Amino acid sequence: MSWEKICGVSDVPENALEKFEVNGIELVVANYGGGFRAFPPRCPHMEEALCDSAVLFDGMLTCTKHLWQWDMGSGEKTGIAEKELLFYDVKQEGGDLYAQVDEALVYEDDDDEDEDEDDEDFFNAD
Amino acid sequence: MMTGKTLNIQVNARNRAYTLDGTSDDKILNLGLSNAIDLPYECGSGTCGTCKARLISGEICDRWPEAPGRKFLKPKKGEFLMCQCAAKTDSVIEVESFVHTMEAGACVPGLITGRVNSSKLLTPDVMSLQITMDQTFDFDAGQFMLVQFPEVVGFRGWSMVNYERHAKTLDFVIKKKPDGVLSEWLFGNNCEGVEVELYGPLGNATFYSRLAKNILCIAGGSGIAGIMSILSRAAQDGYFSQYSGDVFFGVRTMKDAFFLDELAAFRAECGEKLNIVIALSDEDVPASAQIDYPQLAFDNGFVHEVAGRHMEDRYQNVRAYLAGPPPLVNGSIGMLLRARVTTDNIRYDKFS
Repeated sequence: MSWEKICGVSDVPENALEKFEVNGIELVVANYGGGFRAFPPRCPHMEEALCDSAVLFDGMLTCTKHLWQWDMGSGEKTGIAEKELLFYDVKQEGGDLYAQVDEALVYEDDDDEDEDEDDEDFFNAD
Repeated sequence: MMTGKTLNIQVNARNRAYTLDGTSDDKILNLGLSNAIDLPYECGSGTCGTCKARLISGEICDRWPEAPGRKFLKPKKGEFLMCQCAAKTDSVIEVESFVHTMEAGACVPGLITGRVNSSKLLTPDVMSLQITMDQTFDFDAGQFMLVQFPEVVGFRGWSMVNYERHAKTLDFVIKKKPDGVLSEWLFGNNCEGVEVELYGPLGNATFYSRLAKNILCIAGGSGIAGIMSILSRAAQDGYFSQYSGDVFFGVRTMKDAFFLDELAAFRAECGEKLNIVIALSDEDVPASAQIDYPQLAFDNGFVHEVAGRHMEDRYQNVRAYLAGPPPLVNGSIGMLLRARVTTDNIRYDKFS
């Protein structure tokens, strides 16, 4: 795992969401006041583009499609949300923000591209 | 009348399983809802994708393979829209979310028939339509029906404008949509007397008087329909003698505005705790507007921004109802969250 620079800390103002691409992987950076979070660009529920339509306020990320919410401080789902967000590890160094993005984080049900191959590997394991 | 073969469908939700007895004519969403099982849905008409489910075993028939809501699906995983699919055989399906039975007293949806009683142009591209049903019918203020005309296949979701218990007629507002097959037909033909099929009532953006909260309504264009129903119920119950109501109705220009007489009548009936503001996005407020409608206020701008300016710090104990195009709903949600209105007090049904 290696740390990749995503952006300058000042590139994402408080309560803002910005989308970046690192190693060909898209991620959204949230400045929630108490720090930064980085996560995949789509809502784990119905793939709403979080950068465009989610609201970040009071440390809470709200997807406006069905009002699912995640507490950015604890990183946990809250209210009616039924799935956790996945986060990339982030750290601030100097005026920059770094994340570990060796491979794209994928929600459990989203891995349809590889599924058939995985099944084959599984059945051929012996 | 179709008579499909009888079959059963097992619905595995996150919290428990349900077994539904139905026929191959029944759309799976409707079958569940008609059995008071609150399956996930929002538009009920193939657009929003909220009712997606996964086929575990059995066979289904997709009645609308071109439905725009299919963009939310992973067909390789067996996902389908419950609002558009019927089972062909006994089937097992999986719904990702928690599913509960409806509360006692909820208006359980069903299929009914009716006939267009009258229609009237409210503006050049908005019409009102009254449908008389073959039986009386109960719904909650703020709910909608799916309506299908024999001339145009497919159900459309329209909110009721009126409110009464044991209703025999339902009033709707229809916006003319560019390339909308049904709206073209409705605006181009005399549809009085035409028989229609209706399914409902649907929708969770409902108002009831035991809510005991101040209400804030933000609507754009034909989205005012459900708000009219809410105001009607609130007025009937004298709700605004105790709680405040703030209604913001956004239209482009005065020429696009409608229901202004009806809104002024609500204000006259309910008194000064009910404030109604008409927001014009594309023109300055003409001087004549305030003279013609002294009971209403007028302002200039996008309706959620106008609402934000007028509400300022009056969000205590508020339940908000939102209705209109997605930018209006999203903009309003952002405004409300920043005003610290909690998500359980933000209600809307997204149709896209």
